[in-house]
Amino acid sequence: MIQNLISMNGYGLFVWASFSITFLVCALVYLRTYKTLKKYEREFAKEINQLSFEQKKTVVENSKIASQVLSSYSKTI
Amino acid sequence: MFKLFASSNIFFWIEKLISFINSIFFVLLLVALSFALIFSPPDYLQGDSVRIMYVHVPSAWIGLASFTSIALLSIANFIFKIKNIKLVTKSIAPIGLMFTCLAIVTGSLWGQPTWGTWWAWDARITSMLILSLFYIAFIAAHKFINEEDKANKVSSIIAIIGLINVPIIKYSVDWWNTLHQPASIKIIGSSSIHSSMLMPLFLMFFVLILYCALIFLMKYKTEIIRIKKKNLKRL
Repeated sequence: MIQNLISMNGYGLFVWASFSITFLVCALVYLRTYKTLKKYEREFAKEINQLSFEQKKTVVENSKIASQVLSSYSKTI
Repeated sequence: MFKLFASSNIFFWIEKLISFINSIFFVLLLVALSFALIFSPPDYLQGDSVRIMYVHVPSAWIGLASFTSIALLSIANFIFKIKNIKLVTKSIAPIGLMFTCLAIVTGSLWGQPTWGTWWAWDARITSMLILSLFYIAFIAAHKFINEEDKANKVSSIIAIIGLINVPIIKYSVDWWNTLHQPASIKIIGSSSIHSSMLMPLFLMFFVLILYCALIFLMKYKTEIIRIKKKNLKRL
């Protein structure tokens, strides 16, 4: 049965290549997107942390996004 | 109503949606792959090579649907000037390009055993190649035009012009004599594909749609953070 699954009656190379390429590309794009997102989150949180206490307070109060990124970043470290 | 589309409101739900999709994705992927590679029957004419359909067809559908939504959203952006639309289109474009390229590559891998050639300047294949060029032009406009407003205008025009290509792709198999087979699945009327193949096809399509949603949400979130980071001093 496994032999049949691999060979696919002679079409194995084409079928497995199609599925492999599709899911490999999907995995690479996922990893790249995830890394970029984390990089931006990290940089944004770092920039907020570098602000003075007053500035940081204002940013967190004025921007929901900044406060969410900051809290999720502090959870990860 | 447009307040619903405010980035601060959307941002909160993105995180929740990403975790939800992550929690169900791999189970669904395993089920879809089992059906596509093991449980679905081989075709009476094409044999097991028909299994390529389970990645080729959903990829092509996603490529086409993504471009159509980019073009329609670009038209909406010209009319309503909603700021978030450009973030949405910018996030969809790379996903659409990826799936269009995958449709071309997997189509080529399907073409070799069934038609005896990797490539033919056939109406359907050529129009899909043109679609990928429109995607590249759209992404390049955002990448190489520094002025944001100008980049948005140019990319929107590219998307709207590219929309003409979408019905050409859809009806290319009916309008011209092509190597590519006519559509087996019809929106109106009965499909000429058996349910034992239709079910795994829709399952795989659903899994890939979930994947697209996941990538889109992550890209959209990145774009929002990028803008907030740029405007940090104004906050």
